[in-house]
Amino acid sequence: MTNTPLIELKNITHSYGNKSVLHDLTLEFKAKQLSCLLGSSGCGKTTILRLIAGLETPTNGQIIIENKILTKNKQILIPPHQRNIGFIFQDLALWPHFTIYKNIAFGLNERKEKGVRDTVFKMLEFFDLQEHADKYPHQLSGGQKQLVAISRSLVLKPKILLMDEPLANLDVKLKRKMLEHIKNLKQNFELSIIYVTHDHKEAFVIADKIVVLNNGKIEETGTVEQIKKSENKFTKYFLEY
Amino acid sequence: MGKKLIKHPLYTITYLSFGFFIVIPFIYTLVTALFIEGSLSDNLQLLDKETFLLLAKSGLIAFSVAFFATLFGTILGFILYKTNVQFRVFFKISLLIPLFISPYILAVAWKDFFYFFINNTSFIYSYIGVILVLISVFTPLSMLIVGSALANINTQLEESGFIITNFRRVIFKIILPLIKPALISSFVLVFIFSISEFSVPAFFGVNVFTTEIFTQFSAFYNHSLAILQSTLLILICVLLLLAERKHIANAPFLSVSEKGTNNKLYNLKSINILSLLFLFAWFFITIISPFLILFIQSFKDGTSKFVQAFELLLPTFSNSVGLAFLSALIIVFVGFTAAYHSVRQGGAKTNKSFDWILLIIFAIPSIILGISFIKFYNQAMLDFIYSSYAIIIIAYVGKFSFISAKLIENAIKQIPNSFDEAAQIEGITAFTRLQKILIPLITPTLFVAFIISFIFSLGELGTTIMLYPPGTEIMPIKVFTIMANATQSLTSSMTLIIFSITLLLIISFYFTMNLFSKGFNNK
Repeated sequence: MTNTPLIELKNITHSYGNKSVLHDLTLEFKAKQLSCLLGSSGCGKTTILRLIAGLETPTNGQIIIENKILTKNKQILIPPHQRNIGFIFQDLALWPHFTIYKNIAFGLNERKEKGVRDTVFKMLEFFDLQEHADKYPHQLSGGQKQLVAISRSLVLKPKILLMDEPLANLDVKLKRKMLEHIKNLKQNFELSIIYVTHDHKEAFVIADKIVVLNNGKIEETGTVEQIKKSENKFTKYFLEY
Repeated sequence: MGKKLIKHPLYTITYLSFGFFIVIPFIYTLVTALFIEGSLSDNLQLLDKETFLLLAKSGLIAFSVAFFATLFGTILGFILYKTNVQFRVFFKISLLIPLFISPYILAVAWKDFFYFFINNTSFIYSYIGVILVLISVFTPLSMLIVGSALANINTQLEESGFIITNFRRVIFKIILPLIKPALISSFVLVFIFSISEFSVPAFFGVNVFTTEIFTQFSAFYNHSLAILQSTLLILICVLLLLAERKHIANAPFLSVSEKGTNNKLYNLKSINILSLLFLFAWFFITIISPFLILFIQSFKDGTSKFVQAFELLLPTFSNSVGLAFLSALIIVFVGFTAAYHSVRQGGAKTNKSFDWILLIIFAIPSIILGISFIKFYNQAMLDFIYSSYAIIIIAYVGKFSFISAKLIENAIKQIPNSFDEAAQIEGITAFTRLQKILIPLITPTLFVAFIISFIFSLGELGTTIMLYPPGTEIMPIKVFTIMANATQSLTSSMTLIIFSITLLLIISFYFTMNLFSKGFNNK
């Protein structure tokens, strides 16, 4: 694990119309770590992911990945697809009119990569999904859909995986199983993961580092043990529920 | 705004073309007639008491139609969208048919009806006749608007009402207040359509505001008065539509699917038979009887008149279908471009001017749109448009693009943004995202928008009668011009043919659509 920050958010301010969401936020994420952004609804967790991905432009501040400035002063300098990231959306965003195979292969085909079929099937085999290749998303279970969404991102070999409450719609048993999968991804694919959740139990299972957010500001940052023992008033209140 | 326009070239070209071909002629006509060909004060003196009396009469007709269409539409909507009455799917679709049939065809059928049964048509050649025919035409629209609103009510709101009070109180205290915007939208839309209607009063020889404008323009060549009268009518329509803009633009009846609804259906129990009787009666009166009566009148003297009608209409088929097809294609393209920009490209500060323009042009009565096109395009430089079918296509695009844009906009809104963003992160280009993700997902809506535009263009009379180039043959014009001097059975035969063609188109489109949806849902 290296100490050099992989992602840096410097003095980020962001608002939707008149509603301010992030206020002068500065934050770092290290490489090959699984970092959790933890906080209640509307605290700005998803916005941070979308800013890192380049799906939104901050009102102010800089976003830097591997020392490259991606976003500066309301301008996107490097577009989302050149940031070497994967994004798992809360609704998974599996294209309903594509088969599972095509959902995963689409990006590779459009990038004119070679050996697309082999790459896709290797990925499907890794997640034990090969028999579902010709099915459509609505024919799969919730857990299988999660794995397809993850496969679709990983097949493009990203360095960073951004996950926006991906387990929100799963039952407890399946959630536990998926958390194990996600934990293993970091090692198997040498990934840095930023995982957004409002459920501290999820964060405690998988996180190397937790960032607690409240109203667009960082309340505190620490390891699972540090957060558990936190004396911060908000963190204590948040963990009680 | 300038930067945005350059950033979206396709949208910019469509917007500017729409502005040049449709909006400028309209503004040009108003400005020249009101301010250049005489001062505004001189022009205003042309508006005498008679004009306002006629406007009041037209308003009264439109009010009556809007009131009764909304009343019957609400009853039909409730039975079909909120109860488990038998054959509800069949009635839901079949009762919409009069909406797609040109109103003058139904006028002919009802005239035949009175002629056939009481050998006296004076009752129908009156204001009452106009009101009755227009009620039968516009009730389905109201049924669709109110029905969709009823289907979209959150079930829990109704159920929490039932815990507190009885069925009747829930209807009056919870359901009706919830669908109030739909009731108002229905009233306003039907009012606008009725006050703008030309063909039915013209056929029945009833003098209303639109026929007066037509007479002043085409018979007396009093263009200033015609345009001044038009301005009054436009003001009424646009103001009403703008007041209801939000409700109309976002109304569920402009959506192809009823996504996200968990509609509660009531068991009618004792009044089930009564409701069924009402549905059958409405179906028989508004669809079966006009068709039957046209059929009887067409063939009462054998098949000769029908054959003659067919021969007369034959040369118009290819022109009319071709025109409607091309217009529908352009309408869907314009609708898609406007909708896509409005939902996906503009962001929070979307420039909504195109939406407004589409809405205002939609609210302008057909006959007035026709007049402004004649005034603008009738000059040497633009004669290639004026003397060709292009002028009709432009008019149809202006008239029907709003409906297409709203249908498509509601469909795009139902596709999560994340579908596009997921592809964006994978490096898929904007064009490919459009081509391979968004368009396939909204194909059923694009198809419906095409069908509706095609049927409306095929039957349009108000603008076409003003604009058709001399010597050209278009189906509704042929019927309308021959009607005046033809025998009863020839007129009936011609309208029967158009009625049947429209009906066949609706049925075949319906089945194609069903196949389409099945294929899509299976994916």
